[in-house]
Amino acid sequence: MVDLILSIYEIPIINILVKIIAILVPLLLTVAYFTYFERKIIGYMQVRIGPNRVGPRGWLQPIADAMKLMFKEIIFPSGANKILFTIAPTLTIATALAAWAVIPFGAEMVLADLNVALLYILAMTSVGVYGVILAGWSSNSKYAIMSTLRTAAQVVSYEIAMGFALVGVVMAARSLNIGDIVAGQSGSIWGWYMWPLLPLFVIYFISGVAETNRAPFDVAEGESEIVAGFHVEYSGILFAIFFLAEYANMILISIMAALLFMGGWLSPFQGVEFLGLGSSFLAGSSIVWLLSKTAIFMFLFLWFRATFPRYRYDQIMRLGWKVFIPITIVWIYVIGIMYYAELAPWFIKG
Amino acid sequence: METIVFYVFSAFMILSALMVITVHNPVRAAFFLVLTFFSSAAVWLLLEAEFLAIILIIVYVGAVMVLFLFVVMMLDVNLAELKKGFVKNLPLAVIVALAMFAMIFMVVGGEQFGVQNFAVPERHAADYSNVSALGQLLYTEYVYSFEIAAVILLVGIVAAISLTLRRRPNTRHQKVEDQVAVKGADRLRVVKVESQPRKHTIDNAEVKK
Amino acid sequence: MLENYLPVLIFMGVGLLVGIGMTVMGLILSPHRPDREKNSPYECGFEAFEDSRLKFDVRYYLVAILFIIFDLEIAFLFPWAVVLDTIGTFGLIAMAIFLGLLVVGFIYEWKKGALEWE
Repeated sequence: MVDLILSIYEIPIINILVKIIAILVPLLLTVAYFTYFERKIIGYMQVRIGPNRVGPRGWLQPIADAMKLMFKEIIFPSGANKILFTIAPTLTIATALAAWAVIPFGAEMVLADLNVALLYILAMTSVGVYGVILAGWSSNSKYAIMSTLRTAAQVVSYEIAMGFALVGVVMAARSLNIGDIVAGQSGSIWGWYMWPLLPLFVIYFISGVAETNRAPFDVAEGESEIVAGFHVEYSGILFAIFFLAEYANMILISIMAALLFMGGWLSPFQGVEFLGLGSSFLAGSSIVWLLSKTAIFMFLFLWFRATFPRYRYDQIMRLGWKVFIPITIVWIYVIGIMYYAELAPWFIKG
Repeated sequence: METIVFYVFSAFMILSALMVITVHNPVRAAFFLVLTFFSSAAVWLLLEAEFLAIILIIVYVGAVMVLFLFVVMMLDVNLAELKKGFVKNLPLAVIVALAMFAMIFMVVGGEQFGVQNFAVPERHAADYSNVSALGQLLYTEYVYSFEIAAVILLVGIVAAISLTLRRRPNTRHQKVEDQVAVKGADRLRVVKVESQPRKHTIDNAEVKK
Repeated sequence: MLENYLPVLIFMGVGLLVGIGMTVMGLILSPHRPDREKNSPYECGFEAFEDSRLKFDVRYYLVAILFIIFDLEIAFLFPWAVVLDTIGTFGLIAMAIFLGLLVVGFIYEWKKGALEWE
């Protein structure tokens, strides 16, 4: 029996499918409970309890939400382009999930070890804007179309800042392979790229928040002005799919920040002499480190939402074009100089 | 396996390219163009040009087509109006199309690019990196054309701005530097007010009575 | 190299299937009772008028065009960053000039007020 299962597992396609499921199922579960923790954490930050009715302490809330949305009527607004209206959410979730194909979870734990993994992720996020455009245009609603324009302009503006920030990472690692980038940060906590690339690190994460249209950059769905933005006409499961995609993208930004700037699965205790920590089990690389670092960034997303008031649209564009892009360009020059000066421990030629 | 993938994507590419020029709705045409770019990226990938394939998606799908969509979605393209000139302009259009086809055929026709002229390219080893192969040539041997590209992009920036930028009069901007530089004295004036005798209010109260 | 892309292709397929599967499930499971008022596009209390696909400020085109140009510059930067070790100081200077030209364009944009929103 076991032999049979093993032999089936040897078939390449089956092997790949099993790995894909092993990535997708935890991811979708994380998304579901991310929404729960969002409501709970923001609740506590605002001195409320948050969801606490469904199951013990509200643990079953996301499942109840999913079931409810599944059985809700899908309304097709009159004058909408029905086919495009139905395709838009699928396109959004497909691109949001596809980016996960190249994410490594450990030194050897990667589904597709592409040489150009970083560019692939950039490509997938840039394709993601189509879901928004399609949804907004096919809805035949003024609010949706306005939000589409705003979102598209906002997303593309921050994509430039994000691209420049990633160029900095590639300059430090001289590789587009994410596994190599993490390997380049090994040594000690001071080897992480967040130190020499600190401005880029901050810009990357803030641009990530803007790319996913999260607070405080959520003018795409700013309730007080354009109701719910591009998905104002969406209901039922179609709305749920947009929601899923948004949260999958938030987790993607978080795990990318952990991988590219905070050493991914490397331990912060690596190379620490104090109390012999460097030689204890704590110093070993493991997926636990990666996931905890990711969780920090995911928490930041929620914290931002509870803390900051929404930016005005012209302020968003100003921040993207007049603050982030100049800083990233200047910092690329600075990295060039650091590289020329062979600044240890990051820029050692060879 | 590769052959199947190649034929699937080529078929996709040709079909969606056909749809681009036959579909009536310009927005749908734009989406089919996106699909065409996607399939051609896949075909490039099969040629082991991974960097070019992904750049095709980032630049064309992610950037150029967004602009196209902006234009076709929001301009009021009146279909009836467009169709009016169809018959009248047909002969001219056919001539232009034929001339274009002849030129393309002369440049990339069977004589120059036929299978018989080229040996089948060898498959590269697994650690072959298209990006570094490209980079090593681009920034050393072809550095002159690389800098020319920068100049062209600069011209692009200038042209785009001078063509589309319209300043509207009497719009107001947020001047952040002024906001940051503001002093307490600019906003708030403390006025020293002499204390008044109470008599005044008592008078008022009496009048009311 | 190509064998690395097979999982990516399958992953995209599975991603599409997740989307399609959920959509189909929702369509089957949910009720469908259309109603003229319910189906009308959202408005603030009044009947929707005009076509919702409206014309908009040319500024959005400008953002899109500038985005294309900057995106191309980034596309040039990535392979350069990968081969930094082999192209040496010559490559560093070549990119410094390239980026310098971009900065000139950027300053022009800024001074012209193309980055202003109002």
